[in-house]
Amino acid sequence: MPETTDRQDMTASRHDETTLLPRVRAIAEGPLAAKVVDIDQHGYYPLDILAQLGEVGALDAHLARSGGHIGTAIKAMTEVSRVCGATGFLMWCHMVCGLYLEHAPDAALNTDLLATHSAGKTFGGTALSNPMKALAGIERMALSAHPVDGGYEISGTLPWVSHIAYGQYCGAMAALQDGQEEETREILFLLRLDDRVTLRACPHFSGMEGTSTWSIRLDRYFLPDQDVIACPARPLIAEIKAPFILLQVGMAAGVIQGAIDSIWEVEGQLGHVNRYLEDRPEALQAELDALVGRAMALAERTHEQGKDYFLDTLDLRAHGSELSLRATQSALLHQGARGYLSSAGPQRRVREAHFVAIVTPAIKHLRAEMARLSAEELPA
Amino acid sequence: MTGQGEETFRQYICRVCGLIYDEALGDPDSGLLPGTLFHDIPEDWACPLCGVTKLDFEPYIPPQPGQYASNGDDQSSFVRGQDGVVVIGGGTAGWSVAQRLKVLDPDCPVTLVTGCSGDIYAKPELSVALSRGLDEARLNRGKGCDVAARYGIRLMAGAFVTGLDPMARRVRTTSGTVRYRALVFAYGAQPIVLPELPADLVWRVNNLPAWLRLKATLGDTPRTIAVIGAGPVGCELAEDAARAGHSVTLLSRGPWPMDTLLPGKAGSLLASRIVQSGITLRNDTQVIGVRKNDEGSVSVRLQNNDDIIADLAISAVGLRTDLRLPAMAGLKTDCGIIVDENTLRTSDPAIFALGDCISVGGRPCRYIGPIGAQADAIAHAILGLEHAGYVHEIPPLRLKSRALPLELRGLPDPERSWEVVEDSPKRLAMRQCDGEHVIAFLEAMS
Repeated sequence: MPETTDRQDMTASRHDETTLLPRVRAIAEGPLAAKVVDIDQHGYYPLDILAQLGEVGALDAHLARSGGHIGTAIKAMTEVSRVCGATGFLMWCHMVCGLYLEHAPDAALNTDLLATHSAGKTFGGTALSNPMKALAGIERMALSAHPVDGGYEISGTLPWVSHIAYGQYCGAMAALQDGQEEETREILFLLRLDDRVTLRACPHFSGMEGTSTWSIRLDRYFLPDQDVIACPARPLIAEIKAPFILLQVGMAAGVIQGAIDSIWEVEGQLGHVNRYLEDRPEALQAELDALVGRAMALAERTHEQGKDYFLDTLDLRAHGSELSLRATQSALLHQGARGYLSSAGPQRRVREAHFVAIVTPAIKHLRAEMARLSAEELPA
Repeated sequence: MTGQGEETFRQYICRVCGLIYDEALGDPDSGLLPGTLFHDIPEDWACPLCGVTKLDFEPYIPPQPGQYASNGDDQSSFVRGQDGVVVIGGGTAGWSVAQRLKVLDPDCPVTLVTGCSGDIYAKPELSVALSRGLDEARLNRGKGCDVAARYGIRLMAGAFVTGLDPMARRVRTTSGTVRYRALVFAYGAQPIVLPELPADLVWRVNNLPAWLRLKATLGDTPRTIAVIGAGPVGCELAEDAARAGHSVTLLSRGPWPMDTLLPGKAGSLLASRIVQSGITLRNDTQVIGVRKNDEGSVSVRLQNNDDIIADLAISAVGLRTDLRLPAMAGLKTDCGIIVDENTLRTSDPAIFALGDCISVGGRPCRYIGPIGAQADAIAHAILGLEHAGYVHEIPPLRLKSRALPLELRGLPDPERSWEVVEDSPKRLAMRQCDGEHVIAFLEAMS
């Protein structure tokens, strides 16, 4: 039908890199740049910026229904993170929540909510840090689910979930305790943050204050069957694990590019002494370009489930963290005292890089998982 | 305690397989008591590992590391930009090149990265170790950490290489990132895991830890074992297990064992000897799946739907080189990492490769024999020292079999016919010729 074709064409052109990226850059360098200190230090939660990003199509380019442009989504996140790492992280939370919604069986989620979510009219993040670690055997699953009539009751406490607030929502996971199966099963669901939920403010972090990070406490929260995204959850988690991790490279790439920008800013004035430093901008840029090149190649192959593909993805993510740490450290050394001002980008990016390196999966988690995948498997 | 008299004892190394005859220890399995001097060994004695005679042994003097600064901190020199050599792989190939570098230049920082402990052992021994009653104490020739300390090598044991950046010359590992001036791939080849032979049900014996686990699983009682794949390793493992008292079925995909290397006449002789040694041999069989039975045994399903029930199954269907890292480095590869035949340099001038992971002339080279010479050439090239260059020769293949000791020289062409040189009750000799030129020669002794 002509109407459908028109809509598809419109979607395609909105998510086309040459259309989308300049629009994202304009938002990042304009309204976002003006608020970055507020976000970092005063905890301003930039939902207005996210709404603008949603409007131009920057929050759903990665979804299958938009053509699955994961590479473009990474580049859009890079543009945002180049200016503000915290907002880049919020973008990632939002995008991953979109992935969950897209896989939900109920139309209220996969169509209605996904439409407003994609457009940046409603907001929600992901509470899967603990479950991802739990599935990798690193920690215990924090939430448990008991079946009841028409759904489940969920209880437990999740620390430090970002991009949430009352009136918003997030993807979450609980260990299913129905006493029927010997093996543990998990349930992935949409958690609606209404008055049945207790949100507690977190202590002050050293950075990323504007990410609206709370702890969530659930006491027999009723989860209706319609809000179940996947049960058992593991097959869906396996399917979205690679894009989940790959998209984070956008945060790293942006923080690194921002650091390189800071080095060039002072090159004319300080280049004569900065040449004695390690990690000069040309070398960092070459390494970043290679990293982004690898990310783009992997973004084209997200359907692959093989061990090699997954190792490449984990290694890329680890490389992104390591290069973030090196590049931001170098940028601060290049800028000297001016980069150490509390309003300056270089000192902020050092903290953002530390966040990139410790947010799940942190460098240590990535290495543990890569060691597990690399070890020879023998019969028990 | 070392007695005074023992200080005169010497060691001799087999040029073919690297086995070390230590006069102090003798070779009790062959009737040579501890203290038997090499020149007192009878002329008909054979290398217990590969079967060559005394003439193929030469005096072995363990390489001595030069005066390295024992109080120096290699790691800090890395950070300060004096990047060293990083060797990936803790087997014979990796240690050979790391030790050679330190012998030639004690000041050269060398880091060896390995996913295992880096302990020293002779891999060819693993396929004959059950029947010889060997255990960890006899197979393990030294702790990796001890050897590393002796040579001043920084050992990163239990560290897997996850990625590398050839432009920035950095190797990422599960224990951190290391910079390099030169990088050496020496990580060997890995057993092929076919989907029908899943890794959690079917054993693969390609390193000492795997062999030790297998040995512990076998325990002290006779077991039934299915060996899948009848190439040289499959034949050796089957014979070894049978001689150790286990009941073995050897499954050959071809019409006779080692069918891709041997002509029918030699293959039939090998088959009959295998059967005579108590092994059940099934030719022309293809395994389509393996499943675990309730009582712990496995069922190996053949293409004709026959099931072979065994206490355990061992796969010996071949090796392959994992090319993920070379691909990430942008190196030229085919069945292995393509290297220059004389320098062992890859398509990246800062990266070298040796041992089981390389490809020379489109073929893998999976022998212990040439590794020493390869390591020597690489160490000289990295240190900028003159060297005549490595000369590649395909070493003879010796089947470590008492049922039919067999040696194959050259590269047999499956399309070409073989001619019999001698067919006596004591010896079968055959050859393949291209005009006047002998391209392959095989000899089986009774």
